[in-house]
This record gives sequence, structure tokens and C-alpha cells, in this order.
Amino acid sequence: MGGFFVPKQGAELWAYIIGAFVVGLGILYALSLTPKSLRKTLIAGITFLGGLFFALEFFWPVDTAGPMAGKNFLTAYIKPVSSVTTILGALALGLGLYSMVSIHGRAVAKRRENWGFSAVLLGAILAMAIPAIWKEYDKSPQIAGFYRIMYDGGFNPLNATMFSIVAFYIVSAAYRAFRIRTVEAGILLMSAVIIMIGQVTLGQLLTAWIPNENFSSNFRVENLSNWILTRVNSPAQLAISLGIGVGTLATALRLWLSLERGAFFDEEL
Amino acid sequence: MKHATWPARIILLVLSGIILYAILSARRGKKLYLRRIPGLNAIEEAVGRAVEMGRPILGSIGLGDVDVITLQALAIISSVATTAARFAHRIVLPLRNAAQVPIAEEALRAAYTAGGRPDVFNEQDLPFLSGEQFAYAAGVAGIIQRERPAATFLFGTFYAEALIIAENANQVGAIQIAGTPSTTQVPFFIAACDYVLIGDEYYAATAYITRQPTLLGSLIGQDIGKMLLLGMIILGVVLVTFGSPFIANIFGDKDLETFAAYFRAATGGK
Repeated sequence: MGGFFVPKQGAELWAYIIGAFVVGLGILYALSLTPKSLRKTLIAGITFLGGLFFALEFFWPVDTAGPMAGKNFLTAYIKPVSSVTTILGALALGLGLYSMVSIHGRAVAKRRENWGFSAVLLGAILAMAIPAIWKEYDKSPQIAGFYRIMYDGGFNPLNATMFSIVAFYIVSAAYRAFRIRTVEAGILLMSAVIIMIGQVTLGQLLTAWIPNENFSSNFRVENLSNWILTRVNSPAQLAISLGIGVGTLATALRLWLSLERGAFFDEEL
Repeated sequence: MKHATWPARIILLVLSGIILYAILSARRGKKLYLRRIPGLNAIEEAVGRAVEMGRPILGSIGLGDVDVITLQALAIISSVATTAARFAHRIVLPLRNAAQVPIAEEALRAAYTAGGRPDVFNEQDLPFLSGEQFAYAAGVAGIIQRERPAATFLFGTFYAEALIIAENANQVGAIQIAGTPSTTQVPFFIAACDYVLIGDEYYAATAYITRQPTLLGSLIGQDIGKMLLLGMIILGVVLVTFGSPFIANIFGDKDLETFAAYFRAATGGK
């Protein structure tokens, strides 16, 4: 079984690719012939088996010594089984690309409102995709340079521009959040001011005259700031994380055991 | 590769058992009570507002892969879509992950069918924008500025793009309901949105909206599990305060024998 998952080379690799393609098509054809009620059972079964593999691998006790230290009998198969997710992702990317090109291609062809944006988008896809694929086959410095111009000179600055906009949005959102209209907003503002002042050297200078020892040290702004962060903020964050963790477990159980089915949770089993 | 420690095995098994028992109890017809969650009460109001204004609804299921968080987000948006379908109203759901495209299409098609208006569903309202975080954010911001949605529903895994999307929607006057398990983004949503689901309210949303016994039971099971964990935390605090590190010690030990040794020590060496 282990040899099946070992990376292949040359003709053997192509044989595996073609074999996988044929088997995949066969499975899809068989699925299309399966009655709808049986299809649901089949999907539930595959979901259960997939979940069972990862659950068993995680829960099964591991060897404490020897060549299998820190591993159990399923650990070796984690990578190949996880590759299925990568393969499904690659297939889905094709679907996503089709969705995008068909929507924007139609917008351009029918000269819909704002079709110019669609044309720019399609042009940008080609402008990035062509040098990115080309450089894999042509190792000349010109192609690599062209790709770098597109990626480092075009894409990265655009990405950074979008990220930098967040700074302005933080100001406008904070302005609205900190308007004191309720007691909660007042507490929020006070806490934010203390933390902001406590994090900067200039702010810490304001209370530097208070001795940093005994009871009085509690009134130094950096200590107040640290107290809010570690004694108020952290426990609240941990409590939220605990609730989320239990919620994730419950949702994962429902999905794994197919307790909710139909088209996304609208039908009872 | 990480593996479960013995305490984790026991706790996860107990929690799973509690949740499954609660689900089975609910499915047998046990009456269950849910407290009111303002953000979820506002969903119908937000949909109604969009219908009255004749402007679309915008949804986002975030940047996540096809995981539990994203599927939960899709379940919430599907519930919103079912409500919107009753008024034959559009919901625009730009997507960031290509793998989300077929799943989201299927889910929303089913939601519009459940709402009685499958004819209103349009695949083009679920555009795949980009796999890149800020390209997606720019795309959603563009859609918001052009379509001027009256209501936005932001659920799923979000990072820095959360504020870009929420602030753009705020600029066009949309009523906003958001929820995310990404705790770092919750403050930004609170600052920018009208209603925010915090923590496990995110997972309570579908149960609250649909009132399905399976989901209600699961929610009650979660609450019992949380009470159990809370009890352990309190017990741990009390024991540590009085000088016994028993609870603190048993967590983190992988070795079954060490784990058992703590129990033997705690029970007088038996």
C-alpha cells in the first residue's frame, strides 16, 4: 500500500495520471447513475470514512520509542490522504476560473453596465497568467524579469495599497465606536485610551513620577494597561475561544455523522 | 504530527457523548428553550429593509477553506437567502475560495427553492472574485459601491479585509450583521457593524433561525459541555489555591502511565 503513495517518475507518472483520470471519470459516471436517495447514503458514508480516518489518526495512541516514536499506524497515510484536499482544491480552482470568466466575458460581450471593469479584470488575468505559466517552460531572464515586473511591480504594490487603506478605515470605525453614547461605549473608550497611552513611551512618561513599587505602582499607566490586557482582555478572549471550540466540535460531529443533510441544513434526516 | 493526550481523549469523548445525547433527546421531541440573540432577531428586519429599499443584500462567507466555519457561514447565509426568496429578493455572495463556488451555488439554489422562488436565483450573483485576500477585499468593496446593498451579512473566517468590507458597507448605509470565530476581527466588526455575533453565538445562529431539533439539541449539548468545562476550571482554580496542582498536572501529559499515576496519587495510591 505504501508504494502506491510514493511519488512516481516518467512513464509511470503518466500511467498513474491517466489511470486516475479514467477511474475518476468512471466514479463520476457511476455516481450520476446512482438514484438520489442512494447518492445521499453514499456521500454520508464517504464523509464518515474520511472523518473516521482523521479522528482515528488523532486519537489512536502513539509509540513512545523506536522508529515509530510519536506516530501510530495511520500517521504515514496522513500526507497522501490530505493530498485529496489539494486535488479537490485544484479542480475547484478550474470551476472558479470558469465562473469568473463566464460572468465577466458575458458582461463584456453584451456591453452590460460597467463592462469596462470586467474587461480590465479579464486583461489582468491574462497579463498575470501568461508570464507565470511561460516562465515555467522558458527559463530565460527576460521572461523571469517580465514576471517580476508583473508580480513585484504590479501585484504586490496593489496588495499593499489595499492593506494600507485599513489604517484609514480603523480611524473612521474607531471614531464611531468611541462616541460616548452609552456606559459600555464609555468603558470601551477609557480602556482604549489607557492601553494606547500605556503602549507608547511618551504616554508612560505621564506617570513615570509614580514609584514603581508597592501599591502605588498600580497607578502607573503601563501597569494599568498591562492589567487590562492580561487580566480582562485575555480571559475574555479565552472564554470566547472555549465557546467557539465546543461549537466547532458540535458542528463537526453533525457534519461527520451527517445528522443534518439535504441542501445545507434545511432538511432533517 | 499532533496527537491527542489522554485528558484530551477523555474530554472530547465525554463532550461528544453529551452533544450526541442532547441531539437525540431533541429529536425525540424534548422541548428546548433558547435565549434571544439580538443579531439574529435583526435578520428579518435587515431583509425587510432591503426589500423595501429595492436594493440587494450582500453576503460574504469570508476567506476560509471549505471547513466547519465556512459551512456554518454558508448555512446562515442560506437561511437569509430563504427569507429573501420569499420576497423574490436578490442576494449577492462574492466568493474568495474557488472550492466554495459549487457548494455555495448548490446551497443558495436550494435556499431559493425552499423559499418558493427558484426562478429568482441567479448563478451570476455568486461571483468568484480572487483567491488573494486584498484582491477579494477590493472586489467586494467595488460590488458594494456599485450595487449599494441595503443589508450585509458577513459570516465566516475574516482577517484584515473585514474592516475594508464593513466600512464600505457602512458608507453606503447598509444595515450590517456580522459574526466570526476569528477573535482578532470581532472588535473591528463591533466598531463597524450594527449587530455582531460573538463567540459561540456564531454556531447558535442556524439553530436559532431554523429551530430544527437536531441543531437545537446540538446547541443545548454545547451549553452542557461548556458548563462541565467551566466546572473543571473552577475546580482547578480552587485546588491550585489550596496547593493541589492535580487538575493543572493532568493536562498536557501524553503518557498514559503518568496520567494514571496522578490519579493513583490523588486517590491515595490505589
